Amino acid sequence: MGKPNQNLRNFCIIAHIDHGKSTIADRIMELTGQVSKRDMEEQLLDSMDIERERGITIKLTPVRMYYTALDGNEYEFNLIDTPGHVDFTYEVSRSLAACEGALLVVDATQGVEAQTLANVYLALENDLEIVPVINKIDLQSARIEETKSEIEEVIGLSCEGCPCVSAKEGTNIRDILEAVVKQIPPPDGDTDAPLKALIFDSYYDNYKGVILFVRLMDGTVRTGDKIKSALGEKIYEVTEVGAFAPQLQPKTLLSAGEVGYIAASIKSIEDVAVGDTVISADHPETQPCPGYKKVQPVVFCGIYPLDGSKFLDLKDAILKLKLNDAALTFEPDNSVALGFGFRCGFLGLLHMEIIQERIEREFNLEIITTAPSVSYLVHKTDGSEFFVDNPSHLPPPSDIDYMEEPIVKAEIYSPPDYLGQIMDLCQDKRGVFKDMVYLDPKRVKIEYRLPLNEIVYDFFDEIKSRTKGYASFDYELVGYERSRLVRMDILLNGEICDALSMIVHEERAYGRGRVLCENLKDAIPRQLFEIPVQAAIGGKVIARETVKAVRKDVLAKCYGGDITRKKKLLEKQKEGKKRMRKIGTVEVPSEVFMQILKTNKD
Amino acid sequence: MPGIYLHIPFCRHKCSYCDFVSFPDKLHLAEAYMACLYKEIEMRGKQLKGYTFDTVYFGGGTPSVVPPEYIYGAMKQIQKCFTLSKDPEITIEMNPGTVSENKIATYKRAGINRFSVGLQTAIDAQLQEIGRIHNVRDYLYCASLLKGMNFSADVMLGLKGQTEEDVRKTIEVAALSGATHISMYALTPEDGTPIYTDYLNGELPDEDEVASLYSFGRKLLKEKGYLRYEISNFAKRGFESRHNLNYWKRGEYIGLGISASSFIKEKRFTNTFDFDEYTKCILSGFPAVIESEDVTEQDAKFEFIMLALRTTRGFSAKEYRDKFGSDFKDDFRDAFAKTEQFLEQKGDLVRIKSRYLYVQNQILMNFMN
Repeated sequence: MGKPNQNLRNFCIIAHIDHGKSTIADRIMELTGQVSKRDMEEQLLDSMDIERERGITIKLTPVRMYYTALDGNEYEFNLIDTPGHVDFTYEVSRSLAACEGALLVVDATQGVEAQTLANVYLALENDLEIVPVINKIDLQSARIEETKSEIEEVIGLSCEGCPCVSAKEGTNIRDILEAVVKQIPPPDGDTDAPLKALIFDSYYDNYKGVILFVRLMDGTVRTGDKIKSALGEKIYEVTEVGAFAPQLQPKTLLSAGEVGYIAASIKSIEDVAVGDTVISADHPETQPCPGYKKVQPVVFCGIYPLDGSKFLDLKDAILKLKLNDAALTFEPDNSVALGFGFRCGFLGLLHMEIIQERIEREFNLEIITTAPSVSYLVHKTDGSEFFVDNPSHLPPPSDIDYMEEPIVKAEIYSPPDYLGQIMDLCQDKRGVFKDMVYLDPKRVKIEYRLPLNEIVYDFFDEIKSRTKGYASFDYELVGYERSRLVRMDILLNGEICDALSMIVHEERAYGRGRVLCENLKDAIPRQLFEIPVQAAIGGKVIARETVKAVRKDVLAKCYGGDITRKKKLLEKQKEGKKRMRKIGTVEVPSEVFMQILKTNKD
Repeated sequence: MPGIYLHIPFCRHKCSYCDFVSFPDKLHLAEAYMACLYKEIEMRGKQLKGYTFDTVYFGGGTPSVVPPEYIYGAMKQIQKCFTLSKDPEITIEMNPGTVSENKIATYKRAGINRFSVGLQTAIDAQLQEIGRIHNVRDYLYCASLLKGMNFSADVMLGLKGQTEEDVRKTIEVAALSGATHISMYALTPEDGTPIYTDYLNGELPDEDEVASLYSFGRKLLKEKGYLRYEISNFAKRGFESRHNLNYWKRGEYIGLGISASSFIKEKRFTNTFDFDEYTKCILSGFPAVIESEDVTEQDAKFEFIMLALRTTRGFSAKEYRDKFGSDFKDDFRDAFAKTEQFLEQKGDLVRIKSRYLYVQNQILMNFMN
């Protein structure tokens, strides 16, 4: 049995958004000479524009480094960055599985937060050695000792001698590296056993096909080897293996314990999913790594091109994004109001927003998105059952026996001052109170069961605004529950606008219908005729507003010098019209389709 | 038939809504300016030899603020350098606060046969509010000097606090004073004018209120015998402004002076808005044009329809065919299909139904490509 390199350390960083994860990663790379300071673009690991702008990491980008420790030995480090958002929990769990240890970065001014905890528990489940790192000690408001005792109390990790650093100023970064060497164990595994490699990420390269990011558990892999996925039948020939420097750096071989990439002319990212295991084609009996699950979309929305003629461009964009994002699902959809587009599924709201933004930015396409929805389980009177996420696909009420909706367990962490507001909100969102724990005198954890469809509207915004941003929030899907759900339609000038239909709880329909009609009334520009805006369930109207007919839309004067100007004004007006969709006889601006999200008037 | 427009960029005081080029502080330069204007007349006269002009229009600013001899001189220069039709319509804009018997006599000697008087409102407080230099008495005096002549009164809608009663009083004053023509304009708050602040603060009547004032005014004007022939223009029969009708027929015109626009041989061009630049160009023998645009055929067709649909006559299908060699229904098939219900066709003429005239942008947009 061959032992893996004992001077190898595979680890990741766990941190709440803003706690400085990326900056710490940058400093570590700087100190190991991986990137020289002047070549370094701030926050190197976050390679997407959106990531950099939002200061969050979505995609994992591993990097290999060499560090000569105080004991005189040279160590090889593989740092695997993890996304910090609840939507990407599964991706996090996969990258954790590729490591032996994790740095837990905690902001000395903020303390432990909800997402930090969730990921710490994930790391503990994966048997990772956790090294707490207290960051931002340079700040006036840093509470180093309190933060340490909080970590000890809440998580139960000893903070004795843990690195206290300022990533911003580069203070004590070496302490982190020494802690990695001393506390995180070298990888296990057998270099002589048949190949077994965990895929923790992948992306599509136009020339090399799918690039698999792997952690070798056992065996070796080199160019020319025949490999296959533990789940699939297809056999691929390895065309290249290598390490992350952080750009791809070819090597002759990867062996057990190492982190690197494999290219094998794989055509589709779906053939080899994240979480899957790569094995040798000569040893199909090899047992895969545990924990694989197919990621299921949780939130759905329709995406349509603003300009109907750009459908193929949109298709192209989504296909390209899909190449690098196995979690994104889509199917063609046709809406009466919006024409041809796609019904897409996402891991969560952030994932949805990111995809929408990437379509607009990277492909320069203007899109209309419908309100997010969740997947409902419909039981028909004939005994059949199926999932529906698109309100317009819901069968008529007479065919429905009953419906079930997805329920989440939500954990909200907040200073106790906002307890009242949070409970009001959860109550308002049909929440069921489950538990409340004081973590310390300044932090309380509140647990609720909430219908997911209440969360996808404005829950995030609401909780932030009601707690002045102090509360953090995390949720996990716990199952489906029977619920009294109805489809509410919106009629414009008597015609149903399918893109505005929604599935709501019966009791919430009146309130939401009224607010929606009010919002729509303000958002729809006045036209040459009066437009009734109605909310209806089945054939029954439950709310109504009216967009009055326009009475003045004219240029008072139009003489010699005004003609060019008048043309320009009309052109501008027409431009605005181009952004509108025609629902029957009514012109509706594309923003209207997002109005459905707002539950309160601004 | 083509028209001539002359811009007189002076006034005594800038009104709070005005975004025309006018210099209240440069009156002392009027003589120099007129000298340049005479020179521009001469330059353009040479270029437009084959043209016969049917109308002349002195606009501003306040053309009546400069000594009347300057206007007389300009007319002489025009007669010398351009060919005018047998019975041209020659209009001058006047501020009631700047008139005298002598001025009007001089204008008449110059051949001016139509006057456009800025009454704006018959409520003195409102006149003051918008920075006019005259009051209602000044207007009545001015009208008495113009008695029996062809003159128009401008009135405004959408002033701060304006009521239907105010509009009634204003129209009655204009009608009783003997105006043959009344222009009733909705105030357009332009960015950069003092009144824009009022607009931003919501102190002016909103569009619905203006629309109500307009329909009230229109009814009253009709009762008084002023027929609407264009969105904002009303006249006793036979007293329509020929100069302005030419714009809406998409006729040609030459604009002279600062900021004046021209449309000659399918080209639109505009003179500079800068006083010094204008005088420098003209004195060195160059046109003072800063902007010029060739109108494409597609644009020309749209302009033709857009302008003609401002009038209650509408446009003639035959005239369209004669101009462009194609049928408007072929050129604008989709647009007509979409807007048919808002239009009416009477014989050869196509026009916007009366009640949709004030929302015509909604209709016109369909004709743009």
